[in-house]
Amino acid sequence: MKFYFPDSQDLVSPTYDFVNDEYSPYRVRQRDDVYAHQAVTPIPYDGILVSKAVVDGSMKGAGKYSTPQRERLYRLGVRNFFRLPETCSTIGDCGAFNYIDEERPPYEVDEVIDFYGRCGFDAGISIDHIIFGYIPQESDTEPEPAWLERQQISLELAENFLAAAKKNGACFEPVGAAQGWGPDSYAHSVAQLQKMGYRRIALGGMVPLKSHEILACLRAIDEVRNHDAELHLLGINRVDSMEQFARHGVTSFDSTSVFRQAFMDDRNNYHTATDAYTAIRVPQVDGNPALKRLILSGSVSQAEAITAERACLRALREFDGEETSLEDVLTALQAYESLVLGPKKKSYLALYERTLSDAPWRACPCALCEKHGIEIAIFRGSERNKRRGFHNLTVLEAKMRSLTFG
Amino acid sequence: MADRYELRLPALEVRQGDRKIYCFAVDGKKLHSFAAVSRVRRDDDSNLQGYQRPEVLSHIRGIRRYLESDNAMLPNALVLAFDENVRFETGARRKDGVDYSVPGELVIPVDESLPDEDKPALIVDGQQRSAAIRDADLVEFPVAAVGFIADNHDDQRSQFILVNSTKPLPKGLIHELLPETSGHLPPAYARKRLPAQLMTRLNTDGQGPFYGRIASPTSPDGNIKDTAILRMLEHSLFEGALYQYRNPEDGSGDVDRMVQHLRSFWIMVKDTFSDAWRLPPRQSRLTHGAGIQAMGFVMDSLTDGMQAEEVDCDAVRNAVLGLMPVTAWTSGMWRFPDGEQRRWNGLQNTPNDIRLLTDLLVRAVHN
Repeated sequence: MKFYFPDSQDLVSPTYDFVNDEYSPYRVRQRDDVYAHQAVTPIPYDGILVSKAVVDGSMKGAGKYSTPQRERLYRLGVRNFFRLPETCSTIGDCGAFNYIDEERPPYEVDEVIDFYGRCGFDAGISIDHIIFGYIPQESDTEPEPAWLERQQISLELAENFLAAAKKNGACFEPVGAAQGWGPDSYAHSVAQLQKMGYRRIALGGMVPLKSHEILACLRAIDEVRNHDAELHLLGINRVDSMEQFARHGVTSFDSTSVFRQAFMDDRNNYHTATDAYTAIRVPQVDGNPALKRLILSGSVSQAEAITAERACLRALREFDGEETSLEDVLTALQAYESLVLGPKKKSYLALYERTLSDAPWRACPCALCEKHGIEIAIFRGSERNKRRGFHNLTVLEAKMRSLTFG
Repeated sequence: MADRYELRLPALEVRQGDRKIYCFAVDGKKLHSFAAVSRVRRDDDSNLQGYQRPEVLSHIRGIRRYLESDNAMLPNALVLAFDENVRFETGARRKDGVDYSVPGELVIPVDESLPDEDKPALIVDGQQRSAAIRDADLVEFPVAAVGFIADNHDDQRSQFILVNSTKPLPKGLIHELLPETSGHLPPAYARKRLPAQLMTRLNTDGQGPFYGRIASPTSPDGNIKDTAILRMLEHSLFEGALYQYRNPEDGSGDVDRMVQHLRSFWIMVKDTFSDAWRLPPRQSRLTHGAGIQAMGFVMDSLTDGMQAEEVDCDAVRNAVLGLMPVTAWTSGMWRFPDGEQRRWNGLQNTPNDIRLLTDLLVRAVHN
């Protein structure tokens, strides 16, 4: 089972100064920064997935790459640009989420093949159009006409994609994208793609599905699947079901979810092999928009906020050095939280108490926890938050390694 | 420590028309014991109170870093508005010659237990500087200050607007000054110093194609925009062919070899497109921001990893020459691979148009 990490320019700066919360003035983004596969060992994924929409932009503007970065990606190729080791593989897709609201995908087959070819991907997924809807097998509900249309578009583009890839002598492995709204429609797409000549098929649009719904689709696909066909799950990360998925021909998947939970989840921010903890929120007085508004309007005193923020950071660091008690840290956190959170929002203090008393980072063997200690458990700014995300990837890697496939 | 005492500071009373101002020095570390910043807000009856914006923490950090560096100096004075509890005492009599200034002592009552709004002084100008001194890792840092006794809040507010209404320096002047500065610079400027230094070298390099061509305050006859050149240089320094000469530790670089690298490439551009190169941006897209930046990417694409001494070679020259059929610098049409066509001057200095042109040129040099 291979796990791909989708690239969204998620890097950390190795020279970031945590005490003063400052970057080196000379830091060059991306170039001087490091990816998860450079920051932790073992490498927490088997490869990366890069979307054309992230690199080139699509309907809504410019993508996440600056023009110079994009030029360098094309110049160096995906492997050198990401400084990937030999063991990592690369897969490209179009980033269908970015054009979900359009009637048709905004890319032509030739330009997508050109993108995969020029960047030197190992594999490239055909252009697809996401269907957001699910109808279980036993239901009589009719699919919306737009869903049928989107499935048809995806299949036509897949057919043209394969033909053009063959004609151009493309060096990457073409992967067909299957879209559907339920078990039978996914099976239909897979059957069609196999008929065109695809050996590897990516299942798209399954992100909102429950695991049992994904399984129902996989079982229906089993009916039509060739014995040597390989399936990829786009955007899916269900470690608990992964062994089951594998029995239905799934050989790879990609997801950012454990990474993003580090800073998007309300409470499960720091993962361990068996558990998840809430990271301790110490927002930056000059970086938190809500707090900035409160200060600008005069309802929160900036001096008070700065004092409380510093007191929290000091207390947390002293706590990690066993120089202060848990109660003192919680008092400092409470003082700051009461300034930042309005009276209506619920307090995180009870969750913090659990995080701090268990101090899971002390037992974590990953290079980042070892180096940064409690900083990694502090919810604050992208350097801490992304490091915590990288840590979560190492936990996922270990979980994956403990599974048995076959 | 006594939290109520009188601070006596040597001062000069200066008469300005009907008003008096006081020039003095005070330890910046002690400033906040008697001076506060009046933050703008609405009180419970929606009346406007105070007048200052919040502290800009990144700005303060910058000043603080500077203050902690060697030989730091803060020569311009902070401006304080006093209330009537501050008084000036003098034993000196006005001299015949100079009758507008008198030495004496400023007596400031300090009560550290007072809340901010009751402190006898408000900082009208210098809140970021005084905050930086407060936060800096220094034992003391005396600063020059000028105080006046304010009649009321409106008086303070108008002084605040007066001292803060100056325009920031024009960017072009800053770019021109940067290479000739020494010592600590704020981060945004520190990053720009090397590109600015390179640009100055290109503009003064008698053997180079950019000699006198870049418009700047001291080079008014130039017609290539300094911002276009800087952008092109930054891209190459951070992502392209010039990165190899850069020292990421301190942001410095091997400027001589960079100039050589740039000179070799751009001479080929100048020789290949000699007419388009001669013309100003109005008449030529080559010397326009879009052309300069797109050709910068062509340079990175052709010469990344090459040593400065190797750039002047037939392979690169032929590749630039190979661009002739696709370019429409001064007339005709640009024809893009997707079928889109634009008149020669239909390309603007926007990220999208630059990308379009870059794509066309970079593909052409590799075919």
